[in-house]
Amino acid sequence: MHKSLKNIINIISILIGIWFISFNFNEWLCLTMQRHQLIQLPAMLLIGFMTGYTYRKNIKPDQTITICILILTIFSIIFWMIPRSIDLAVINEKFNRIMHFNMLIAGFFLYPVLSKTVPEIKIVFLGMMASMLMAGGITLKTYNLLLCSSFTIEQQKQTGLILILVGITLYFFTIFIFLRGLKPEELKEKVNLNDSIHTQ
Amino acid sequence: MSQINSTDFKKQKNLIALWSYTFLIIFPLLIILGLLMRLNQGEVIDLGIDNFYVVMTLHGLGMAGLLYSMAFGALWYLLASRYVKLNIKVGYFIYTTVIIGVVGLVIATLIGKFGAGWYLLYPLPFKGTFWPGWATALSIISLILLGIAWLIGNIHVVYALARNFGGLANIIGWQYLGRKKVDTELPPVVLIAAISLIPGVIAFLAGAVFLIMFLLQNFEPGLNFDNLLVKNLIFFFGHTLVNITLYCCLGWVYALLPEYSGREWKVNKLLVYSWNATFFFILFAYFHHLYMDFVQPKPLHIAGQLASYFSAIPATAVTMFGVISQIYRSKIRWTIVPTTFLLGVAGWAIGGFAAVVDSTIAINKILHNTLWVPAHFHTYMLTGVVLFLLGFLFHLTQTKDEQVKDKLSITGFWTFLIAAHCFVASFYAGGLNSIPRRYSDYTGIPMASTHSTGATLAAISTIFIYILLIGLLIMYFSIFKNLRQWYKNPSKT
Repeated sequence: MHKSLKNIINIISILIGIWFISFNFNEWLCLTMQRHQLIQLPAMLLIGFMTGYTYRKNIKPDQTITICILILTIFSIIFWMIPRSIDLAVINEKFNRIMHFNMLIAGFFLYPVLSKTVPEIKIVFLGMMASMLMAGGITLKTYNLLLCSSFTIEQQKQTGLILILVGITLYFFTIFIFLRGLKPEELKEKVNLNDSIHTQ
Repeated sequence: MSQINSTDFKKQKNLIALWSYTFLIIFPLLIILGLLMRLNQGEVIDLGIDNFYVVMTLHGLGMAGLLYSMAFGALWYLLASRYVKLNIKVGYFIYTTVIIGVVGLVIATLIGKFGAGWYLLYPLPFKGTFWPGWATALSIISLILLGIAWLIGNIHVVYALARNFGGLANIIGWQYLGRKKVDTELPPVVLIAAISLIPGVIAFLAGAVFLIMFLLQNFEPGLNFDNLLVKNLIFFFGHTLVNITLYCCLGWVYALLPEYSGREWKVNKLLVYSWNATFFFILFAYFHHLYMDFVQPKPLHIAGQLASYFSAIPATAVTMFGVISQIYRSKIRWTIVPTTFLLGVAGWAIGGFAAVVDSTIAINKILHNTLWVPAHFHTYMLTGVVLFLLGFLFHLTQTKDEQVKDKLSITGFWTFLIAAHCFVASFYAGGLNSIPRRYSDYTGIPMASTHSTGATLAAISTIFIYILLIGLLIMYFSIFKNLRQWYKNPSKT
């Protein structure tokens, strides 16, 4: 397929994805906490991630920049898990768009950054994400008061339970990545901290 | 052994010198905090209840963090100078982050009066506290920083070892379990480093979960987490951290003792089996901290007892047998380094035995909340880990001939060691007399005999702390002088 045609198809697919999640189904996705936190937020992140994957060759972040981007990604996700932010994102349309844009950008840099970064940082990032999701999930699950006025307490508890399960899965995935990274063939292929910093 | 160039070596030398100075300065200060606690329990001074728990928190968190950091720093230096290329920038990142974390903890405790103990038992740091919320938040953030620094350090070392020795299976010695002849010998220090640091990675990640939960709790006081879940996470993190501190030290005993005995200490099948057992069981041994929690499922209590036995006994037995075979009729010159290593292993064995006794459910029912518990961990920390660290510092800074001539250090060492054993004996005696632990003083105990025994033992123990500090000070004359010379002299390796 011609390169520019492929590019056009990619861009159209991404835009359709954004339109569906952020506009067409926005109202439906904001109806329950599960849809909002477990479908809309990750979907925007995923679209960003796929966009980043598509244009991965054009993005070559520096080692120090990768750490900054990962920290910003963590903070973005934390921010959109705070009850007040969730409420505002549901009630206020502008805030809602900022959330979508933020997730899109966070996801966009994730693939190029994770593929370029050293295993040490990758594992710490994944581990902290897993811990954050578990802690956030446990909070939603155990709290008997309504944290977000836009949703119900049942929705809050169900969202918490799913977040715990996602967090546990990510935790074991992190351990798996760590141990898989210790295979001889993986070690030869991987960029390691010694080489990457020494060559800078 | 890998070759390290002189520039890289100089950098690694600077880093270990920095770690050493930091350890040498902070360590006696933390002992003084311990002294204050025992003086208070002995009714010699009156700290007040609040201040006692502030001091206890800083002493506990400080000692656990300092000893682990120094043990890790020393292991890092040994591996970097002999076996693998470790990135110096990562080394400095770890050092700086640890120092920031420590400063945070000092501010949170001494200024903020945070006094929840090292174990931060939930919901203790949040409910009815005598310290402000910012002190709790600062403590949690400081602990997160420490956790991230250690996590990155552990992962970096494990990856470097795996890269150099051909993968995970090789660094944990599985090539010795097959029938094929092993082509490249695995240094025991590499095996033990891997066995210690991999569970460390898993535990630090679990630690991050409870620390983030604590952070959320601090911002939203209405939260109510499951106490048992939080306790499991805390002890999985804390118990593993303390265990791997000891194993990091044992790594260099395996590497350095042969240099004094003149005998090789090689990895073999038995060593691999025993340390692999430790690798697996170390993750489950922490259940013995939860015997008193009746809501914890009973099979986990049983698993805790079994894992405690299986994680401790094989490695201890094999290491002790190895040490004996190293020194038996070896014509070893008993300078300070092999002496500290031998007696450090003895301290580990004594403290370890006391720990295994306490991890037996039937006995734990009686000893759990008594001074037996501080007795056992002070034994393997003060007369185990600390001796290994001192031995390492002497090995680093003195040649064998200099060690023979240095009679002052030997005098200081014996003063320190005898006082340290007498000090921990006061804890054991307290445990056997049912003196409760974590009490700021014993005045409120309605049984006169328990009160007087507890106070008397505490007062007596302070004499040994003074002697122990004198012994340490004597050794410091030599260590500081030699460390300065070693650091300045590029020819000294």
